[in-house]
Amino acid sequence: MSNAAADADLVRMCRDGDMAAWRALYDRYAPSVHRFTASLGVPVEEREDAAQDIFIAVFRSLRHFRGEAQLSTWIYRIAARHAIRMGRRRRTRELMRLVMLKESNHLLVDPSERSTQVATLDRMLAKLPAKKRTVLVLFEIEGLSAKEISDVVGCPENTVWSRLHHARAEMVRVARRMVP
Amino acid sequence: MTWLESPQSEAEKLIRDGLDQAAKRTGDEITHRRVWANIAEATELTPPRSYRLLAFASATLVVLLGAAGVFAYPHLRGKATSQLALVNHSTQAPSPVAIVPPAEAVPASPLPEQVVLDEAERAPGHVVRTGVGERARVALGGGAEAELDENSAITWDKQHRPAVEQGSARLSVPHQPPGWRFSVTAGPYVVTVVGTKFEVRVASRTVGVEVTEGVVEVWRGSHSTRLVAGDAWHGPLSPDDASTAQPAPKQSKAHSTAPRAKIQTDQHLLDAQAALQAGNVNKALDILNRAAQGNGPAAENAAYELGRITRYDLNHPRQAVALWEKYRTRFPSGLLRTETDLSIVETLSHVGEVHAALAEAEAFLARHPDSERRGEVQRLAERLRATEAASDAK
Repeated sequence: MSNAAADADLVRMCRDGDMAAWRALYDRYAPSVHRFTASLGVPVEEREDAAQDIFIAVFRSLRHFRGEAQLSTWIYRIAARHAIRMGRRRRTRELMRLVMLKESNHLLVDPSERSTQVATLDRMLAKLPAKKRTVLVLFEIEGLSAKEISDVVGCPENTVWSRLHHARAEMVRVARRMVP
Repeated sequence: MTWLESPQSEAEKLIRDGLDQAAKRTGDEITHRRVWANIAEATELTPPRSYRLLAFASATLVVLLGAAGVFAYPHLRGKATSQLALVNHSTQAPSPVAIVPPAEAVPASPLPEQVVLDEAERAPGHVVRTGVGERARVALGGGAEAELDENSAITWDKQHRPAVEQGSARLSVPHQPPGWRFSVTAGPYVVTVVGTKFEVRVASRTVGVEVTEGVVEVWRGSHSTRLVAGDAWHGPLSPDDASTAQPAPKQSKAHSTAPRAKIQTDQHLLDAQAALQAGNVNKALDILNRAAQGNGPAAENAAYELGRITRYDLNHPRQAVALWEKYRTRFPSGLLRTETDLSIVETLSHVGEVHAALAEAEAFLARHPDSERRGEVQRLAERLRATEAASDAK
Protein backbone atom coordinates (compact mmCIF):
# COMPACT_ATOMS: atom_id res chain seq x y z
CA MET A 1 0.00 0.00 0.00
CA SER A 2 1.40 3.41 -0.92
CA ASN A 3 1.99 6.00 1.78
CA ALA A 4 -0.67 8.28 0.30
CA ALA A 5 -3.28 5.49 0.28
CA ALA A 6 -2.29 4.45 3.81
CA ASP A 7 -2.53 8.06 4.99
CA ALA A 8 -5.95 8.38 3.38
CA ASP A 9 -7.12 5.30 5.31
CA LEU A 10 -5.66 6.69 8.49
CA VAL A 11 -7.38 10.04 8.02
CA ARG A 12 -10.70 8.29 7.34
CA MET A 13 -10.35 6.19 10.51
CA CYS A 14 -9.38 9.23 12.58
CA ARG A 15 -12.42 11.10 11.32
CA ASP A 16 -14.54 8.11 12.38
CA GLY A 17 -13.25 8.61 15.92
CA ASP A 18 -10.89 5.64 15.96
CA MET A 19 -8.54 6.25 18.89
CA ALA A 20 -5.99 3.68 17.70
CA ALA A 21 -5.84 5.50 14.34
CA TRP A 22 -5.14 8.82 16.10
CA ARG A 23 -2.35 7.11 17.98
CA ALA A 24 -0.98 5.54 14.79
CA LEU A 25 -0.99 8.96 13.10
CA TYR A 26 0.84 10.45 16.06
CA ASP A 27 3.38 7.61 16.17
CA ARG A 28 4.04 8.00 12.45
CA TYR A 29 4.63 11.74 12.47
CA ALA A 30 5.85 12.60 15.99
CA PRO A 31 9.54 11.89 15.19
CA SER A 32 9.43 14.12 12.07
CA VAL A 33 7.68 16.92 13.95
CA HIS A 34 10.24 16.70 16.75
CA ARG A 35 13.17 16.83 14.30
CA PHE A 36 11.61 19.61 12.22
CA THR A 37 10.83 21.90 15.15
CA ALA A 38 14.30 21.27 16.59
CA SER A 39 15.89 22.29 13.28
CA LEU A 40 13.69 25.39 13.13
CA GLY A 41 15.19 26.51 16.42
CA VAL A 42 12.57 25.50 18.97
CA PRO A 43 14.67 25.03 22.13
CA VAL A 44 14.61 21.69 23.91
CA GLU A 45 12.54 22.93 26.84
CA GLU A 46 9.79 24.11 24.49
CA ARG A 47 9.78 21.14 22.11
CA GLU A 48 7.26 19.01 23.99
CA ASP A 49 4.84 21.93 24.17
CA ALA A 50 5.41 22.62 20.49
CA ALA A 51 4.69 19.00 19.51
CA GLN A 52 1.62 18.98 21.71
CA ASP A 53 0.24 22.20 20.20
CA ILE A 54 1.01 21.05 16.66
CA PHE A 55 -0.74 17.69 17.03
CA ILE A 56 -3.73 19.23 18.79
CA ALA A 57 -3.99 21.61 15.81
CA VAL A 58 -3.66 18.63 13.44
CA PHE A 59 -6.34 16.64 15.24
CA ARG A 60 -8.74 19.57 15.51
CA SER A 61 -8.44 20.57 11.88
CA LEU A 62 -8.19 17.13 10.31
CA ARG A 63 -11.79 17.41 9.16
CA HIS A 64 -10.69 20.31 6.93
CA PHE A 65 -7.89 18.26 5.36
CA ARG A 66 -9.04 17.77 1.78
CA GLY A 67 -6.34 15.33 0.74
CA GLU A 68 -5.08 17.60 -2.04
CA ALA A 69 -1.61 17.65 -0.52
CA GLN A 70 0.08 14.76 1.22
CA LEU A 71 -0.76 14.38 4.90
CA SER A 72 2.93 14.79 5.77
CA THR A 73 3.12 18.06 3.80
CA TRP A 74 0.02 19.35 5.59
CA ILE A 75 1.49 18.49 9.00
CA TYR A 76 4.81 20.16 8.08
CA ARG A 77 2.85 23.30 7.12
CA ILE A 78 1.17 23.43 10.52
CA ALA A 79 4.47 22.69 12.29
CA ALA A 80 6.35 25.38 10.33
CA ARG A 81 3.79 28.07 11.13
CA HIS A 82 3.80 27.09 14.76
CA ALA A 83 7.60 27.01 15.06
CA ILE A 84 7.95 30.40 13.35
CA ARG A 85 5.28 31.86 15.65
CA MET A 86 7.08 30.45 18.69
CA GLY A 87 10.34 31.94 17.40
CA ARG A 88 8.78 35.41 17.16
CA ARG A 89 7.40 35.12 20.69
CA ARG A 90 10.77 33.94 21.97
CA ARG A 91 12.60 36.85 20.34
CA THR A 92 10.07 39.28 21.82
CA ARG A 93 10.64 37.76 25.27
CA GLU A 94 14.41 38.03 24.85
CA LEU A 95 14.05 41.63 23.74
CA MET A 96 11.93 42.41 26.78
CA ARG A 97 14.55 40.81 29.02
CA LEU A 98 17.25 42.98 27.46
CA VAL A 99 15.13 46.10 27.72
CA MET A 100 14.42 45.38 31.38
CA LEU A 101 18.11 44.52 31.88
CA LYS A 102 17.29 41.07 33.10
CA GLU A 103 19.64 38.18 32.72
CA SER A 104 19.19 36.13 29.58
CA ASN A 105 17.33 32.89 30.12
CA HIS A 106 19.67 29.95 30.51
CA LEU A 107 18.80 27.38 27.88
CA LEU A 108 18.63 23.75 28.86
CA VAL A 109 20.74 21.32 26.90
CA ASP A 110 19.12 18.15 25.68
CA PRO A 111 21.40 15.24 26.68
CA SER A 112 20.60 13.58 23.38
CA GLU A 113 21.90 16.64 21.56
CA ARG A 114 25.29 16.92 23.12
CA SER A 115 26.72 16.37 19.71
CA THR A 116 28.86 19.36 18.93
CA GLN A 117 28.01 18.96 15.26
CA VAL A 118 24.30 19.49 15.83
CA ALA A 119 24.90 22.39 18.21
CA THR A 120 27.16 24.01 15.61
CA LEU A 121 24.60 23.45 12.89
CA ASP A 122 21.90 25.03 15.06
CA ARG A 123 24.10 28.10 15.54
CA MET A 124 24.56 28.35 11.78
CA LEU A 125 20.85 27.85 11.06
CA ALA A 126 20.02 30.55 13.60
CA LYS A 127 21.81 33.07 11.36
CA LEU A 128 19.42 32.44 8.47
CA PRO A 129 16.16 34.34 7.99
CA ALA A 130 13.10 32.19 8.84
CA LYS A 131 11.95 31.64 5.24
CA LYS A 132 15.33 30.51 3.98
CA ARG A 133 15.91 28.40 7.06
CA THR A 134 12.56 26.61 6.63
CA VAL A 135 13.32 25.76 3.00
CA LEU A 136 16.84 24.56 3.79
CA VAL A 137 15.65 22.38 6.69
CA LEU A 138 12.79 20.87 4.67
CA PHE A 139 15.10 20.08 1.75
CA GLU A 140 18.33 19.06 3.45
CA ILE A 141 17.10 17.47 6.69
CA GLU A 142 13.51 16.42 6.05
CA GLY A 143 14.22 15.32 2.48
CA LEU A 144 11.17 16.95 0.86
CA SER A 145 11.10 17.75 -2.85
CA ALA A 146 10.87 21.34 -4.12
CA LYS A 147 7.23 20.70 -5.07
CA GLU A 148 6.39 19.47 -1.57
CA ILE A 149 8.24 22.41 -0.02
CA SER A 150 6.29 24.82 -2.21
CA ASP A 151 3.10 23.23 -0.78
CA VAL A 152 4.37 23.61 2.77
CA VAL A 153 5.57 27.21 2.58
CA GLY A 154 3.00 28.39 0.03
CA CYS A 155 5.29 29.79 -2.65
CA PRO A 156 6.14 28.82 -6.25
CA GLU A 157 8.72 26.10 -6.86
CA ASN A 158 11.12 28.61 -8.45
CA THR A 159 11.07 30.62 -5.23
CA VAL A 160 11.89 27.45 -3.29
CA TRP A 161 14.95 26.83 -5.47
CA SER A 162 16.00 30.45 -5.13
CA ARG A 163 15.65 30.45 -1.32
CA LEU A 164 17.51 27.15 -1.13
CA HIS A 165 20.36 28.52 -3.24
CA HIS A 166 20.72 31.63 -1.06
CA ALA A 167 20.35 29.63 2.17
CA ARG A 168 23.12 27.23 1.13
CA ALA A 169 25.44 30.08 0.17
CA GLU A 170 24.76 31.83 3.47
CA MET A 171 25.38 28.63 5.44
CA VAL A 172 28.78 28.20 3.78
CA ARG A 173 29.66 31.85 4.53
CA VAL A 174 28.65 31.43 8.18
CA ALA A 175 30.54 28.13 8.47
CA ARG A 176 33.72 29.72 7.04
CA ARG A 177 33.57 32.38 9.73
CA MET A 178 33.26 29.64 12.38
CA VAL A 179 36.20 27.56 11.19
CA PRO A 180 39.45 28.95 12.61
CA MET B 1 22.95 14.18 -5.37
CA THR B 2 23.39 15.17 -1.73
CA TRP B 3 24.60 18.69 -1.10
CA LEU B 4 28.24 18.77 0.13
CA GLU B 5 28.49 15.00 -0.24
CA SER B 6 32.20 15.50 -0.92
CA PRO B 7 33.07 18.55 1.18
CA GLN B 8 35.92 20.64 -0.20
CA SER B 9 36.75 22.47 3.01
CA GLU B 10 36.46 22.26 6.79
CA ALA B 11 33.53 24.67 6.66
CA GLU B 12 31.61 22.48 4.23
CA LYS B 13 32.38 19.38 6.29
CA LEU B 14 31.04 21.17 9.36
CA ILE B 15 27.74 21.76 7.59
CA ARG B 16 27.47 18.24 6.15
CA ASP B 17 28.22 16.56 9.51
CA GLY B 18 25.71 18.81 11.25
CA LEU B 19 22.99 18.03 8.72
CA ASP B 20 23.63 14.29 9.01
CA GLN B 21 23.41 14.41 12.79
CA ALA B 22 20.36 16.68 12.77
CA ALA B 23 18.48 14.17 10.62
CA LYS B 24 18.78 11.68 13.48
CA ARG B 25 17.28 13.78 16.27
CA THR B 26 13.78 12.34 16.22
CA GLY B 27 13.12 12.55 19.98
CA ASP B 28 12.97 9.67 22.38
CA GLU B 29 10.12 7.27 23.06
CA ILE B 30 9.42 8.67 26.50
CA THR B 31 9.03 12.23 25.24
CA HIS B 32 6.68 11.05 22.51
CA ARG B 33 4.59 9.06 25.01
CA ARG B 34 4.43 11.97 27.43
CA VAL B 35 3.32 14.32 24.66
CA TRP B 36 0.72 11.80 23.50
CA ALA B 37 -0.70 11.52 27.02
CA ASN B 38 -1.08 15.31 27.16
CA ILE B 39 -2.69 15.41 23.71
CA ALA B 40 -5.18 12.69 24.64
CA GLU B 41 -5.95 14.62 27.80
CA ALA B 42 -6.31 17.97 26.05
CA THR B 43 -8.43 16.83 23.15
CA GLU B 44 -10.47 14.19 25.02
CA LEU B 45 -10.05 11.90 22.06
CA THR B 46 -13.07 9.71 22.50
CA PRO B 47 -15.54 8.62 19.86
CA PRO B 48 -18.60 10.84 19.61
CA ARG B 49 -21.67 9.60 21.46
CA SER B 50 -23.56 8.96 18.23
CA TYR B 51 -20.73 6.71 17.07
CA ARG B 52 -20.79 4.74 20.33
CA LEU B 53 -24.56 4.29 20.08
CA LEU B 54 -24.22 3.18 16.47
CA ALA B 55 -21.48 0.72 17.40
CA PHE B 56 -23.62 -0.69 20.20
CA ALA B 57 -26.65 -1.00 17.91
CA SER B 58 -24.55 -2.71 15.23
CA ALA B 59 -23.08 -5.15 17.75
CA THR B 60 -26.55 -5.98 19.07
CA LEU B 61 -27.82 -6.55 15.53
CA VAL B 62 -24.88 -8.78 14.69
CA VAL B 63 -25.39 -10.84 17.87
CA LEU B 64 -29.12 -11.25 17.10
CA LEU B 65 -28.39 -12.27 13.53
CA GLY B 66 -25.73 -14.68 14.74
CA ALA B 67 -28.19 -16.25 17.19
CA ALA B 68 -30.75 -16.55 14.40
CA GLY B 69 -28.11 -18.27 12.29
CA VAL B 70 -27.41 -20.81 15.04
CA PHE B 71 -31.11 -21.66 15.42
CA ALA B 72 -31.62 -21.84 11.66
CA TYR B 73 -28.51 -23.94 11.08
CA PRO B 74 -30.13 -27.41 11.21
CA HIS B 75 -32.73 -26.29 8.67
CA LEU B 76 -30.31 -24.56 6.35
CA ARG B 77 -27.55 -27.15 6.37
CA GLY B 78 -28.96 -28.98 3.38
CA LYS B 79 -29.14 -25.78 1.38
CA ALA B 80 -25.77 -24.50 2.48
CA THR B 81 -23.56 -26.44 0.09
CA SER B 82 -24.56 -24.50 -2.99
CA GLN B 83 -24.05 -21.17 -1.23
CA LEU B 84 -20.67 -22.22 0.09
CA ALA B 85 -19.50 -23.17 -3.35
CA LEU B 86 -19.93 -19.51 -4.29
CA VAL B 87 -17.87 -18.19 -1.44
CA ASN B 88 -15.16 -20.79 -0.92
CA HIS B 89 -13.22 -21.68 -4.03
CA SER B 90 -11.17 -24.47 -2.51
CA THR B 91 -13.66 -27.29 -2.20
CA GLN B 92 -16.91 -28.74 -3.50
CA ALA B 93 -17.65 -30.49 -0.22
CA PRO B 94 -19.38 -28.71 2.65
CA SER B 95 -16.96 -25.90 3.39
CA PRO B 96 -15.29 -25.50 6.77
CA VAL B 97 -15.97 -21.80 6.68
CA ALA B 98 -18.71 -19.61 5.31
CA ILE B 99 -17.94 -16.10 4.10
CA VAL B 100 -21.35 -14.59 3.76
CA PRO B 101 -23.20 -11.56 5.06
CA PRO B 102 -24.35 -11.98 8.67
CA ALA B 103 -27.94 -12.84 7.75
CA GLU B 104 -26.72 -15.81 5.76
CA ALA B 105 -23.94 -16.88 8.11
CA VAL B 106 -23.46 -20.62 7.96
CA PRO B 107 -21.27 -22.74 10.28
CA ALA B 108 -18.24 -24.57 8.96
CA SER B 109 -17.29 -28.24 8.65
CA PRO B 110 -15.09 -30.02 11.27
CA LEU B 111 -11.82 -29.77 9.25
CA PRO B 112 -9.66 -26.70 9.86
CA GLU B 113 -8.88 -24.97 6.61
CA GLN B 114 -6.92 -22.00 5.40
CA VAL B 115 -9.26 -19.32 4.12
CA VAL B 116 -7.71 -16.70 1.91
CA LEU B 117 -9.80 -13.59 1.40
CA ASP B 118 -9.06 -10.90 -1.10
CA GLU B 119 -9.26 -7.21 -0.23
CA ALA B 120 -12.87 -6.90 -1.39
CA GLU B 121 -13.99 -9.80 0.78
CA ARG B 122 -12.43 -8.34 3.92
CA ALA B 123 -15.30 -5.91 4.03
CA PRO B 124 -17.87 -4.93 6.63
CA GLY B 125 -20.63 -7.49 6.82
CA HIS B 126 -18.61 -10.53 5.79
CA VAL B 127 -18.46 -13.14 8.54
CA VAL B 128 -16.23 -16.16 8.92
CA ARG B 129 -17.88 -18.50 11.41
CA THR B 130 -17.01 -21.89 12.88
CA GLY B 131 -19.51 -24.33 14.41
CA VAL B 132 -19.21 -26.99 17.10
CA GLY B 133 -15.94 -28.94 16.79
CA GLU B 134 -14.76 -26.78 13.89
CA ARG B 135 -11.70 -24.57 13.51
CA ALA B 136 -10.51 -22.31 10.73
CA ARG B 137 -7.46 -20.27 9.80
CA VAL B 138 -8.29 -16.96 8.17
CA ALA B 139 -5.79 -14.81 6.27
CA LEU B 140 -6.37 -11.21 7.29
CA GLY B 141 -4.07 -9.58 4.73
CA GLY B 142 -0.56 -8.21 5.13
CA GLY B 143 0.64 -11.60 6.39
CA ALA B 144 -1.63 -11.51 9.46
CA GLU B 145 -3.61 -14.63 10.26
CA ALA B 146 -6.36 -15.60 12.69
CA GLU B 147 -7.04 -19.13 13.88
CA LEU B 148 -10.66 -19.43 14.96
CA ASP B 149 -11.64 -21.90 17.66
CA GLU B 150 -14.96 -23.72 17.53
CA ASN B 151 -18.12 -21.66 17.85
CA SER B 152 -16.27 -18.48 16.92
CA ALA B 153 -16.86 -15.74 14.41
CA ILE B 154 -14.75 -12.98 12.92
CA THR B 155 -16.03 -10.14 10.78
CA TRP B 156 -14.78 -6.73 9.58
CA ASP B 157 -15.95 -3.44 10.98
CA LYS B 158 -16.75 -0.37 8.94
CA GLN B 159 -13.11 0.70 9.17
CA HIS B 160 -12.19 -2.65 7.58
CA ARG B 161 -10.53 -3.90 10.74
CA PRO B 162 -11.00 -7.55 11.73
CA ALA B 163 -13.49 -7.82 14.59
CA VAL B 164 -13.70 -10.88 16.81
CA GLU B 165 -17.43 -11.16 17.23
CA GLN B 166 -17.77 -14.35 19.19
CA GLY B 167 -15.65 -17.13 20.65
CA SER B 168 -11.88 -17.15 20.47
CA ALA B 169 -9.28 -16.27 17.83
CA ARG B 170 -5.50 -16.65 18.02
CA LEU B 171 -3.88 -13.94 15.92
CA SER B 172 -0.45 -13.90 14.41
CA VAL B 173 0.70 -10.53 13.05
CA PRO B 174 4.04 -10.01 11.30
CA HIS B 175 6.17 -7.09 12.41
CA GLN B 176 4.70 -3.84 11.10
CA PRO B 177 6.90 -1.10 9.60
CA PRO B 178 7.82 1.78 11.95
CA GLY B 179 4.78 3.91 12.70
CA TRP B 180 2.34 1.26 11.48
CA ARG B 181 0.00 -0.73 13.66
CA PHE B 182 -2.36 -3.60 13.12
CA SER B 183 -5.71 -3.32 14.89
CA VAL B 184 -8.41 -5.85 15.72
CA THR B 185 -11.57 -5.03 17.63
CA ALA B 186 -13.49 -7.02 20.24
CA GLY B 187 -16.65 -5.42 21.60
CA PRO B 188 -15.81 -1.88 22.76
CA TYR B 189 -12.04 -2.53 22.71
CA VAL B 190 -9.43 -2.00 20.01
CA VAL B 191 -6.34 -4.17 20.27
CA THR B 192 -3.32 -2.65 18.49
CA VAL B 193 -0.03 -4.36 17.83
CA VAL B 194 3.17 -3.77 15.92
CA GLY B 195 3.89 -7.47 15.35
CA THR B 196 3.06 -10.29 17.72
CA LYS B 197 1.01 -13.39 18.54
CA PHE B 198 -1.98 -13.10 20.81
CA GLU B 199 -5.43 -14.49 21.48
CA VAL B 200 -8.69 -12.57 21.68
CA ARG B 201 -11.75 -14.09 23.34
CA VAL B 202 -15.26 -12.69 23.35
CA ALA B 203 -17.56 -14.32 25.91
CA SER B 204 -21.10 -13.33 26.87
CA ARG B 205 -19.98 -10.56 29.25
CA THR B 206 -16.24 -10.20 28.89
CA VAL B 207 -13.45 -9.70 26.38
CA GLY B 208 -10.09 -11.33 27.07
CA VAL B 209 -6.64 -10.90 25.50
CA GLU B 210 -3.64 -13.16 26.09
CA VAL B 211 -0.24 -12.33 24.58
CA THR B 212 2.12 -15.08 23.44
CA GLU B 213 4.80 -12.91 21.81
CA GLY B 214 5.56 -9.20 21.48
CA VAL B 215 3.59 -6.27 22.85
CA VAL B 216 -0.12 -5.49 22.56
CA GLU B 217 -2.11 -2.40 23.54
CA VAL B 218 -5.79 -2.71 24.40
CA TRP B 219 -7.57 0.60 23.89
CA ARG B 220 -10.93 1.84 25.11
CA GLY B 221 -11.51 5.51 24.44
CA SER B 222 -8.32 7.28 25.49
CA HIS B 223 -7.34 4.61 28.01
CA SER B 224 -5.01 1.79 27.15
CA THR B 225 -3.54 -1.25 28.79
CA ARG B 226 -0.17 -2.45 27.55
CA LEU B 227 0.45 -6.20 27.63
CA VAL B 228 3.70 -8.02 27.03
CA ALA B 229 4.33 -11.70 26.30
CA GLY B 230 2.79 -13.88 29.01
CA ASP B 231 0.28 -11.23 30.12
CA ALA B 232 -3.45 -11.80 30.17
CA TRP B 233 -6.17 -9.18 30.50
CA HIS B 234 -9.96 -9.12 30.52
CA GLY B 235 -12.58 -6.38 30.50
CA PRO B 236 -16.35 -6.05 30.39
CA LEU B 237 -18.03 -6.49 27.01
CA SER B 238 -21.05 -4.31 27.61
CA PRO B 239 -20.55 -0.65 26.69
CA ASP B 240 -22.47 0.28 29.87
CA ASP B 241 -20.01 -1.63 32.02
CA ALA B 242 -17.14 -0.38 29.94
CA SER B 243 -18.06 3.24 30.51
CA THR B 244 -17.50 2.89 34.22
CA ALA B 245 -14.99 0.08 34.62
CA GLN B 246 -11.27 0.14 33.83
CA PRO B 247 -9.56 -2.74 32.08
CA ALA B 248 -8.38 -4.99 34.89
CA PRO B 249 -5.43 -7.35 34.69
CA LYS B 250 -6.34 -10.98 35.06
CA GLN B 251 -2.90 -11.92 36.29
CA SER B 252 -0.73 -9.82 38.50
CA LYS B 253 1.90 -9.71 35.75
CA ALA B 254 -0.29 -7.55 33.55
CA HIS B 255 -0.02 -3.84 34.22
CA SER B 256 -2.24 -0.94 33.32
CA THR B 257 -0.68 1.83 31.32
CA ALA B 258 -3.56 4.24 30.96
CA PRO B 259 -1.54 7.19 29.65
CA ARG B 260 -3.13 9.88 31.80
CA ALA B 261 -2.48 8.02 35.02
CA LYS B 262 0.90 6.70 34.07
CA ILE B 263 2.78 9.38 32.26
CA GLN B 264 1.41 12.69 33.36
CA THR B 265 4.01 14.94 34.90
CA ASP B 266 3.84 14.72 38.69
CA GLN B 267 4.51 17.52 41.15
CA HIS B 268 7.68 15.89 42.51
CA LEU B 269 9.16 15.86 39.05
CA LEU B 270 8.24 19.51 38.47
CA ASP B 271 9.76 20.51 41.83
CA ALA B 272 12.90 18.54 41.04
CA GLN B 273 13.17 20.15 37.60
CA ALA B 274 12.75 23.60 39.16
CA ALA B 275 15.50 22.81 41.67
CA LEU B 276 17.76 21.63 38.86
CA GLN B 277 17.16 24.75 36.82
CA ALA B 278 18.04 26.78 39.88
CA GLY B 279 21.30 24.83 40.03
CA ASN B 280 20.40 22.97 43.22
CA VAL B 281 21.15 19.39 42.23
CA ASN B 282 21.16 18.08 45.81
CA LYS B 283 17.69 19.45 46.43
CA ALA B 284 16.46 17.82 43.22
CA LEU B 285 17.96 14.49 44.27
CA ASP B 286 16.43 14.81 47.71
CA ILE B 287 12.94 15.42 46.25
CA LEU B 288 13.30 12.52 43.85
CA ASN B 289 14.69 10.20 46.52
CA ARG B 290 11.60 10.80 48.63
CA ALA B 291 9.29 10.39 45.64
CA ALA B 292 11.02 7.14 44.65
CA GLN B 293 10.20 5.62 48.05
CA GLY B 294 6.50 5.65 47.19
CA ASN B 295 4.57 3.64 44.66
CA GLY B 296 3.00 4.15 41.26
CA PRO B 297 4.01 6.25 38.28
CA ALA B 298 5.48 9.11 40.36
CA ALA B 299 7.87 6.72 42.12
CA GLU B 300 8.78 5.13 38.81
CA ASN B 301 9.52 8.49 37.18
CA ALA B 302 11.55 9.56 40.21
CA ALA B 303 13.57 6.33 40.25
CA TYR B 304 14.51 6.82 36.61
CA GLU B 305 15.25 10.53 37.00
CA LEU B 306 17.65 9.84 39.90
CA GLY B 307 19.84 7.91 37.48
CA ARG B 308 19.57 10.56 34.79
CA ILE B 309 20.60 13.41 37.08
CA THR B 310 23.43 11.37 38.55
CA ARG B 311 24.65 10.63 35.05
CA TYR B 312 24.32 14.02 33.37
CA ASP B 313 24.31 16.60 36.15
CA LEU B 314 26.67 15.00 38.66
CA ASN B 315 28.66 13.21 35.96
CA HIS B 316 28.84 9.97 37.96
CA PRO B 317 28.10 7.40 35.26
CA ARG B 318 28.78 4.26 37.33
CA GLN B 319 26.54 5.43 40.14
CA ALA B 320 23.89 6.23 37.56
CA VAL B 321 24.05 2.70 36.21
CA ALA B 322 23.61 1.35 39.77
CA LEU B 323 20.53 3.58 40.22
CA TRP B 324 19.03 2.46 36.93
CA GLU B 325 19.68 -1.16 37.89
CA LYS B 326 17.71 -0.48 41.07
CA TYR B 327 14.92 0.91 38.89
CA ARG B 328 14.91 -2.30 36.82
CA THR B 329 14.71 -4.44 39.95
CA ARG B 330 11.77 -2.44 41.30
CA PHE B 331 9.92 -1.93 38.02
CA PRO B 332 10.87 -4.86 35.79
CA SER B 333 7.99 -4.10 33.40
CA GLY B 334 7.96 -0.34 34.02
CA LEU B 335 6.97 2.16 31.39
CA LEU B 336 10.48 3.62 31.41
CA ARG B 337 12.13 0.21 31.11
CA THR B 338 13.14 0.71 27.48
CA GLU B 339 14.66 4.11 28.24
CA THR B 340 16.42 2.71 31.30
CA ASP B 341 17.93 -0.21 29.39
CA LEU B 342 19.09 2.18 26.71
CA SER B 343 20.58 4.60 29.21
CA ILE B 344 22.56 1.75 30.78
CA VAL B 345 23.89 0.63 27.39
CA GLU B 346 24.95 4.17 26.47
CA THR B 347 26.50 4.90 29.83
CA LEU B 348 28.49 1.66 30.03
CA SER B 349 29.71 2.27 26.51
CA HIS B 350 30.66 5.85 27.43
CA VAL B 351 32.80 4.75 30.40
CA GLY B 352 34.51 2.13 28.25
CA GLU B 353 33.08 -0.99 29.90
CA VAL B 354 32.91 -2.73 26.55
CA HIS B 355 31.98 -6.25 27.74
CA ALA B 356 29.21 -5.05 30.03
CA ALA B 357 27.90 -2.57 27.44
CA LEU B 358 27.82 -5.25 24.76
CA ALA B 359 25.97 -7.67 27.04
CA GLU B 360 23.44 -4.94 27.84
CA ALA B 361 23.07 -4.03 24.16
CA GLU B 362 22.39 -7.65 23.23
CA ALA B 363 19.89 -7.97 26.08
CA PHE B 364 18.22 -4.76 24.87
CA LEU B 365 17.86 -6.12 21.32
CA ALA B 366 16.37 -9.35 22.65
CA ARG B 367 14.03 -7.64 25.08
CA HIS B 368 12.83 -4.76 22.88
CA PRO B 369 12.55 -6.15 19.35
CA ASP B 370 10.05 -3.43 18.39
CA SER B 371 11.87 -0.45 19.87
CA GLU B 372 12.35 2.58 17.65
CA ARG B 373 15.90 2.73 19.03
CA ARG B 374 16.72 -0.79 17.83
CA GLY B 375 18.78 0.38 14.84
CA GLU B 376 20.78 2.74 17.01
CA VAL B 377 21.53 -0.02 19.58
CA GLN B 378 22.39 -2.46 16.80
CA ARG B 379 24.98 -0.04 15.42
CA LEU B 380 26.39 0.54 18.90
CA ALA B 381 26.59 -3.24 19.48
CA GLU B 382 28.53 -3.62 16.22
CA ARG B 383 30.99 -0.93 17.28
CA LEU B 384 31.38 -2.58 20.69
CA ARG B 385 32.01 -5.98 19.09
CA ALA B 386 34.66 -4.42 16.86
CA THR B 387 36.31 -2.75 19.87
CA GLU B 388 36.20 -6.03 21.78
CA ALA B 389 37.73 -7.93 18.87
CA ALA B 390 40.48 -5.32 18.52
CA SER B 391 41.37 -5.49 22.21
CA ASP B 392 41.34 -9.32 22.12
CA ALA B 393 43.74 -9.22 19.17
CA LYS B 394 46.30 -7.13 21.10
